[in-house]
Amino acid sequence: MHEVEIAVVGAGPAGLSAAIEAARAGAKVLLLDENRKPGGQLFKQIHKFFGSKAHYAAVRGIDIGCRLLDEAQESGVETWLNIPVWGLFGNHTLAVIRDGRAQTVRAKKIILATGASENALSFPGWTLPGVMTAGAAQTMMNIHRVLPGQRVLMVGAGNIGLIVSYQLLQAGGEVVAVIEAMDQIGGYAVHAAKIRRAGVPILVSHTIREAHGREQVEAATIVQVDEQMQPIPGTERRLGVDTVCLAVGLTPLAELGWMAGCGFAYIPDLGGFVPLHDENMETTLPGLYVAGDITGIEEANSAMEEGRLAGLAAAEALGYLREEAISRKAEVRQRLDSLRLGPFGEKRQRAKERLLGECRGQLAKQEPPDVSKSCQDLTRSRITVVTGVLSLEELAGSPGYPSQERLRSGKVAVIECMQQIPCDPCVGACPRGAISIAPTITDLPVLDAEKCNGCGLCLPACPGLAIFLVDLTFSPTETLVAFPYEYLPLPKVGTEVEAVDREGHVVARGRVVRVQNPPRYDRTPVISIAIPKEFAQVVRSIKRSGKR
Amino acid sequence: MRVVDHPILGKLPEGRTVEITFDGHPLEALEGEPILAALLAHGIQRCRTTVKRREPRWFYCGIGRCTDCVMIVNGIPNVRTCVTTVGAGMKIETQEGLGRWERADA
Ligand SMILES: Cc1cc2nc3c(=O)[nH]c(=O)nc-3n(C[C@H](O)[C@H](O)[C@H](O)COP(=O)(O)OP(=O)(O)OC[C@H]3O[C@@H](n4cnc5c(N)ncnc54)[C@H](O)[C@@H]3O)c2cc1C
Ligand code: SF4
Ligand code: SF4
Ligand code: FES
Repeated sequence: MHEVEIAVVGAGPAGLSAAIEAARAGAKVLLLDENRKPGGQLFKQIHKFFGSKAHYAAVRGIDIGCRLLDEAQESGVETWLNIPVWGLFGNHTLAVIRDGRAQTVRAKKIILATGASENALSFPGWTLPGVMTAGAAQTMMNIHRVLPGQRVLMVGAGNIGLIVSYQLLQAGGEVVAVIEAMDQIGGYAVHAAKIRRAGVPILVSHTIREAHGREQVEAATIVQVDEQMQPIPGTERRLGVDTVCLAVGLTPLAELGWMAGCGFAYIPDLGGFVPLHDENMETTLPGLYVAGDITGIEEANSAMEEGRLAGLAAAEALGYLREEAISRKAEVRQRLDSLRLGPFGEKRQRAKERLLGECRGQLAKQEPPDVSKSCQDLTRSRITVVTGVLSLEELAGSPGYPSQERLRSGKVAVIECMQQIPCDPCVGACPRGAISIAPTITDLPVLDAEKCNGCGLCLPACPGLAIFLVDLTFSPTETLVAFPYEYLPLPKVGTEVEAVDREGHVVARGRVVRVQNPPRYDRTPVISIAIPKEFAQVVRSIKRSGKR
Repeated sequence: MRVVDHPILGKLPEGRTVEITFDGHPLEALEGEPILAALLAHGIQRCRTTVKRREPRWFYCGIGRCTDCVMIVNGIPNVRTCVTTVGAGMKIETQEGLGRWERADA
């Protein structure tokens, strides 16, 4: 038997953050993961993160992962990799497999940060080679550097479906379509806009009927659905694809919690059954904490904050930190709350409040709180997001859009971010203080176009790739449009390119004027092209040039 | 297909290679990669067939959870190839049904 003060199960962003905080506080911490490499889902996430500076905004997930690993090492966390935890007995004893043998680890405090698993969707043909989860495709291309297929149908337009589609394009694949059974996408509009510009159709109110093929996927039939999610006969369409990726939600991986016998609640907004926890992330079993996706599906930023909270609380309970604990935990809670603002976060915030309420209720044997509170509809933001492409009218009314007069006077930033998402790196990126987001992080970015001189520094800082530059004064007949472009090959200065609109349609010919890719842009090159004047508000990218 | 050039991840680093065999054919694999990735890089899209209907199966979750990707590795069936790293001289075989054991000590 191995004894430690704090054992953390799962070395994803939540577990790593918990282990780091607890070890920094002075506790002896053991971090366990069944994988050979720590990091959980982080190393698959090659995109820049949302959030604020305090949450590593505009830093890529892979780079956050590297920082966390360094910090874990510096703070003296002991890490056991390739060790599956198969049991949790009571609140202090873990059963693990080490060197092929079953062993136990006894800890004064245990933090479960086991993450989530991807939901399945069954349909005729779903067992064929070529049908896989979106996470599997992400793992293959971003970690193992192999592309699982050439022509992909993505099922599900939540953030994972949208992000993985974008990453498939970056890895050199083609996404034939993204389909979504709801009548609007579930993920962020800015993520959707990236793949729409690249010409990927997003079909809402559509589902998959069948995957065809003998040895592997050769085609898929999709069908439109009505409001009751019933297929509409006659709307079937057959798409030639070799891969079907499923991005239909995640379910918390909480088996160890069940085994230990802690209290659970069923909260659909959090992904299903989740362990009850209090303000310190402690479950109904004293000394057993949870953090990250296991406590409800969110994203990596909130997983890290919950991990920190659990790590601080567990260390505090062991007598470390003392007075400092209260203020440190308050800071983390504040950051967590800021991530749960706005229409996307509110639902989770309410669900989390219910979890806390039920936890208190269960401990004190009180009446459960009003459940209907968590079931309110997602408040629509000011725009109608169906597939992420904004209309010119919507954009004209956006606080991120310069006036016509300002546009006519020369180069200026154009911000096409109109959903209340927890994100603000554009604010910090502007040396002239021309962008503000206030009072909360989910408010829309407001451009003070008089202050903006069109330097373009905000373009690569925006994780949504939602900022562009427009210069109507470029030449008597041409406008200059600059946009972020994270694909290979990069176009060459002077070459002619096909300019595309927000839906990826070729609308004009353009000429590449500049390609900027300095290290501080962190692999988000900015391309400037000259196009005929009348397309200034239409062109937002270029057609990607064929296969690599 | 290997992703050699990547706009974010850069060029695939030149790593050491190891030789493995797949159903008797020699294949080159990159040191440290999972068996599944090595096979995928060579266009192999089948790991096993099912017990009753002999239907083909490949990978599904890619992270060791679903067991769709099991194959016979060095004579041991039911090895999850998405989380098992290649080794020099490793013998990998398509698993028919439940596969069969090749006892080293028999
Ligand atoms: C496939 C996938 C893709 C995602 N992509 C994104 C994205 O692009 N952007 C985003 O913001 N969010 C994404 N998410 C959402 C996710 O909430 C966060 O990114 C984040 O990784 C959650 O952190 P975590 O630490 O809770 O869990 P994880 O990162 O999943 O880490 C959990 C770790 O625990 C280990 N583990 C589990 N059970 C055991 C056990 N019994 N014994 C030992 N070890 C165990 C796992 O192997 C894993 O390493 C994704 C989630 C998944 C599943
Ligand atoms: S273009 Fe430059 S000045 Fe204008 S908003 Fe962006 S960073 Fe600020
Ligand atoms: S414009 Fe600002 S708030 Fe919107 S996605 Fe970009 S960085 Fe975030
Ligand atoms: S693909 Fe699921 S275990 Fe290997």
